[in-house]
Amino acid sequence: MDFLNAIFVQPFADMAAAPDFLLQVVWEGLVGGVLYALIALGFVLIYKSSRIFNFAQGIMVVFAALTLVGLHEKGVPALLALPLTLLVMLVLAVAIERAVLRPLVNQPDIILFMATIGITLFLIGFGEIIFGGENKVMITRELMIPTDSITMDLFGGFVSIEEKDLTSVIGSVLLVAALLLFLNRTKTGRAIRALGDDHQAALSVGISLSTIWVVVWFIAGVIALATGIAWGARAGVSFALEVIAYKALPVLMLGGLESVMGAIIGGLAIGILEKLFEVYWGQPLMGGNTEAWFAYVLALIVLLFRPQGLFGERIIERV
Amino acid sequence: MKKIMKTAALSAAFAAGIALAAPASAQEDSIYIPNLSYRTGPFAATGTPLMNGQRDYITLLNERDGGLNGTKLVYDECETGYNTEKGVECYERTKENAVVTQPWSTGITLQVLPKSNVDEIPILAPGYGFSPMANGKVFQWAFNPPSSYWDGASMILKHISEGNLDNLNGKKIALLHLDHPYGKEPIPLLEVLAEKHGFTLLPIPVGLTEMQNQSAQWLQIRRERPDFVLMWGWGAMNAGAVTEAAKTRYPMDQFIGIWWSGHDGDLKLIGEEGKGYRSISWSVPMPDSQLLQDVREYVVEPGKSLIENESELDSVFYQRGLMISAILVEAIRAAQEEFDAQAPDATQVRWGLENLNMDEARLEELGAAGMLVPFKTSCADHTGHGGAWMLEWDGEKFVKVSDLITPDREAIEPLEEQEAQAYAEANAPWPINEECNM
Repeated sequence: MDFLNAIFVQPFADMAAAPDFLLQVVWEGLVGGVLYALIALGFVLIYKSSRIFNFAQGIMVVFAALTLVGLHEKGVPALLALPLTLLVMLVLAVAIERAVLRPLVNQPDIILFMATIGITLFLIGFGEIIFGGENKVMITRELMIPTDSITMDLFGGFVSIEEKDLTSVIGSVLLVAALLLFLNRTKTGRAIRALGDDHQAALSVGISLSTIWVVVWFIAGVIALATGIAWGARAGVSFALEVIAYKALPVLMLGGLESVMGAIIGGLAIGILEKLFEVYWGQPLMGGNTEAWFAYVLALIVLLFRPQGLFGERIIERV
Repeated sequence: MKKIMKTAALSAAFAAGIALAAPASAQEDSIYIPNLSYRTGPFAATGTPLMNGQRDYITLLNERDGGLNGTKLVYDECETGYNTEKGVECYERTKENAVVTQPWSTGITLQVLPKSNVDEIPILAPGYGFSPMANGKVFQWAFNPPSSYWDGASMILKHISEGNLDNLNGKKIALLHLDHPYGKEPIPLLEVLAEKHGFTLLPIPVGLTEMQNQSAQWLQIRRERPDFVLMWGWGAMNAGAVTEAAKTRYPMDQFIGIWWSGHDGDLKLIGEEGKGYRSISWSVPMPDSQLLQDVREYVVEPGKSLIENESELDSVFYQRGLMISAILVEAIRAAQEEFDAQAPDATQVRWGLENLNMDEARLEELGAAGMLVPFKTSCADHTGHGGAWMLEWDGEKFVKVSDLITPDREAIEPLEEQEAQAYAEANAPWPINEECNM
């Protein structure tokens, strides 16, 4: 009876007893969810246009953030370091297309996936040589990101919101809005979607595969930079940021590998639900650290009923 | 570009060293010292300065003294990324001709521990590994000087209770720990002490993927309001925790870390906001010591170090790396003298590790006075239990804020004995050193 009470009654009683704390939990989940969604978007864009599962997305987050901080350490003003980092990500996109993807056109998907593992290993080694392994401070203030916190007295308690987290959320929403506009309203964006829908049909109407690949890898680089700034502002910039990318995997399973909307909704859902579960059920009943597996279990449950994910395309193959 | 070229050249030289290491170590004119290091991955930020310190101490002896009593020391790193499976691979790859193995992770140490009896290679795990390794009769080949994790837990509690653990009666103490064998290591002792002294222990695990997003853990701390938070953190977890503590406005003077959670680089992320955070430590940085002057002259200035910038030399972890190699070298030196061997073998180095006497006079001779807690090992005591000091972050650097603190050995020894026997029984047949009569 006590066990059932701990599962079905006590958590909701705790939520009702301290609504300010509940709001804080939801806010923290939302911030985490937005960032998961951003990382997942990087995977989705590349997968949509090329059917490549980009294993290097995590290390691209690290590489972009380290480039930004590294340039600033070399004396480049922060507001100049930002466009220069974008330029580096563009060069990286072109290099990957020329050196890795182009020679592998028409190869099986698994070969391209393995190639992205190669890119990961290269960027780890290259990044270590250039930037070293030390934890670096994100240039939050220099980028004019506010760093104070807003404390609101609510329901007899308080909710504290870090301005940098708020900036991350607003920035991510704007980035996603711009991305959706780009994909839906521009010629290049439509070309990316066309490639995602049918490769051969898109090629037959003159869409350049190599140009689109450069564009999507560059957009993935932009997303990686935004993610790197947001995560780096929370806990510094180091190679540990790469680990964050693993959190995007259940988001992709939940939302579907091809769906931009799936990445956004999946990210937000996982961010908020895993935080609620951890705080109200995981910590009191299971000793905590349920965030390590909760998202995967949630995704697994969804896959049982919708193997293509919540927003993924149902693939029917005739044999 | 100059830096890249330098790094590339050093890497090439380093690789060449690795390639030549094994054959060289088989000769009588060199001693092969492998290190299962990690300079890449999520733990690189904390691993790199330690490895740099270890490497630079060996380089110093080779450059300044022509080796150890005329014998070249061949230092070899095998990259594990703090991954247990890779660590075991590295152990297997480097064990031939090795006089010691340095696993550099509690997880790897636990895997290598049973192999040490078979391969007869001493494990040197300074300040880490399985705490009952202190029992030299059971763990003949394992050494964790100068203090074990259980010593660390005991000393932190002694410090926060102002010398009397009964003062903790009714208090709540959270243990924020990496969800990894290392992070879980102090739990058995803390549970025993919690029951004995009437405080509540609240373990809060942090998973690998949550190291940089500890909001759930710190929400729990906000809800539970513990009187103290102890941290067994490593790598990016340390930086994540101090950032969240500052964000949660948890009083920094109630937040205390073990020696691996006292890295300058982590606290620099929050600077002034981290003021008051403490970390227990068996080493203290002494930038003006003779040893550091020699390192600058013989290693850094000639460009033989891998440090990124000179400020790293003054950090807690870099100088702890120096001290770790000093402990090893002193054991080899003791073996050279005892067995009259220019290049002692692993069995002889084990004897050296069992007969270490790093007293204040010896540290003074090494130019390292005050940098390391004095300690002495024996065949029965493989830790030395030298104690530690409390360091505090002053906003810019760690400073020593206590006299030497010693662990409550009366409380620890029974548990050490019990766990060592339990390990031996679980891994039977496990050889016990019956010749040790101490």
